[in-house]
Amino acid sequence: MNRRERYKKITSFQEADRVPVDLGSHVASIHTWTYDKIAKQNPEWDLKNTNLILDRMVQNSIPDDRLLDRLGVDFRWIAPHWIDVTDVEEGIYQDMWGIHWQYMLDAYSVHHSPLRTAKTAADIANHPWPDTDHPDLFTGLEERAKALYENTDYILVADSIKGGLLTKALQIRGYEFFFADMANNIPFAEALLDKLLDVYKEFWGNFLKRVGPYVETVYFTDDIGGQSSLMISPSTFRTLIKPRLASLIDHIKSCADVKFMYHTDGTITPVLDDIVEMGVDILNPIQTSAMNMDTAALKEQYHGKLCFHGAIDVQQMLPFSSPEEVRYDVAKRLYDLGRGGGYIFAPCHNIGSDVPVENVFAMYDAAKELGAYPLEKAAEVLRDEDKQGAQIFLEQAPKNAGKVVKRSRRPRSG
Amino acid sequence: MSNERIDEILDGLYDHTIDGETEPVIALTNEGLELGMSPLSILFDGLIPALEEVGRLFEEGTFFVPEMLIAAQAMQGAMKILRPLIAETGAKPVGKFVMGTVKGDIHDIGKNLCNVMLEGAGFEVTDLGVNVAEQTFVDAVMEIKPDAVGMSAFLTTTMPMFIPTIEALKEAGLRDDVIVFVGGAPVTQEYCDHVGADGYAPNASVLVRLLKEKMGIT
Repeated sequence: MNRRERYKKITSFQEADRVPVDLGSHVASIHTWTYDKIAKQNPEWDLKNTNLILDRMVQNSIPDDRLLDRLGVDFRWIAPHWIDVTDVEEGIYQDMWGIHWQYMLDAYSVHHSPLRTAKTAADIANHPWPDTDHPDLFTGLEERAKALYENTDYILVADSIKGGLLTKALQIRGYEFFFADMANNIPFAEALLDKLLDVYKEFWGNFLKRVGPYVETVYFTDDIGGQSSLMISPSTFRTLIKPRLASLIDHIKSCADVKFMYHTDGTITPVLDDIVEMGVDILNPIQTSAMNMDTAALKEQYHGKLCFHGAIDVQQMLPFSSPEEVRYDVAKRLYDLGRGGGYIFAPCHNIGSDVPVENVFAMYDAAKELGAYPLEKAAEVLRDEDKQGAQIFLEQAPKNAGKVVKRSRRPRSG
Repeated sequence: MSNERIDEILDGLYDHTIDGETEPVIALTNEGLELGMSPLSILFDGLIPALEEVGRLFEEGTFFVPEMLIAAQAMQGAMKILRPLIAETGAKPVGKFVMGTVKGDIHDIGKNLCNVMLEGAGFEVTDLGVNVAEQTFVDAVMEIKPDAVGMSAFLTTTMPMFIPTIEALKEAGLRDDVIVFVGGAPVTQEYCDHVGADGYAPNASVLVRLLKEKMGIT
């Protein structure tokens, strides 16, 4: 069974020879420091690309094929290039959206949002938006995708340009400003989201014109979840974000025969039905360190509706576990999510600069050791209490969630 | 001054603050002051109960970041008017709080939400901003003598900064004078215990509740 046949079975909710394994998207690669450590510890592999950065914001690497093959990675990512990046001052750059990013410790964070003083739809229209057909965005990608498609059996995914509708709106407007807009300046919020939707539609049209025939899947990142709840109410998600994402997904699927992989960090369980309705095929990254992102419950309730991609936590598990604990967690995710197909093994986010090298190998070695169907080896590793199925039920937010407020009256003194 | 109108004003302040409507909150604050209401009554009988209700609505999952944020902004509108007047009365705040995002980290939304909810509960908050060095925390504690210090970190790579920051407070002999809270996306109660902080709050509203508990305020 070759890799693409395996992927087809898995994404059709059937078991294959083993669970497919991934690494290398712009939000799920390896931090350049950790990559350097791997290269230095393994000089015989002669890893290249130690001086290349895939995504400047998170400072991750473009892993060498030799490492990807050593880890058993079945995928190759076709990532658009960064354009119009300028250095503003030491440690601060401006991206193609006009957002400034400041270097801190080991990565960049938002430093300045160009639309923070915008007031009207005209201010939005007058912003210098990126050129979505800029030739440098796609240089060499069609050739690379075609060559990989014709000469290898790797599963090819079209990577996103950074950010999504909500994430980009928050960054370009300023987090506090756009959060407030969604509550008290809705026409402005809608105008900004509509503009971003147009930009992303144009981008994907131009990108898929080049790589559409070769890629199996399209990846789109947009965070709506926080550590313990959605960042916005289900009602706000359903009125402002969902219809626009659904429209983008329709557009993308009209451009090429692809599956749509949607990335959102955090807790998103109250709107999983909405995510299915939007046309999402694969959900990434299943941040298991966030509240209620229980892999057994997700599988029981959404198998057959959503494929899962990710689930190997980089926030708590990979940095702070022993290699044995990593192996156990891998077994748990393979067992919970892999049975019956519908799961692709991957880290939840970039393997950070705080992840020990031995845990990177423990993670991928365990996937190799335990990921063959029918996953009985993964089951053997687990204690009985971790094989009992879902212990919680993921309730969907009711239709009026976040709208009807049952508030207390003002307390009367005396 | 009609008692009926005073109740209407307080009800209006309460409702419009919860709904995040800054303009009517400012208008009612001004009207109340013109009618001779005390700034402390506007704060304690109108605004603070409103923010308490916002915290409750957030914790029960009805309110999210946008709703909490605009409620806090509405209250800030009133506080701009009230703060100097309250200072004139010599009234003491419920407590003093020093807040900052640790060195190496410039994320600030969670921290800012904590600040406004603390202020909404009657605390005097000194915000040291983001990327705050250990010594800056120490200097602020020495100068302001707060009841509590809050340290925020958004990343697993920056939360270890809690350790040297708390260590610096110890070395300066200040550790036992303040309640130390830690918070931020990757932080857990376990990590709070590990770094030797006194309290962890997963969100702004819980922070206010825990702080009051630890200070013995009901």
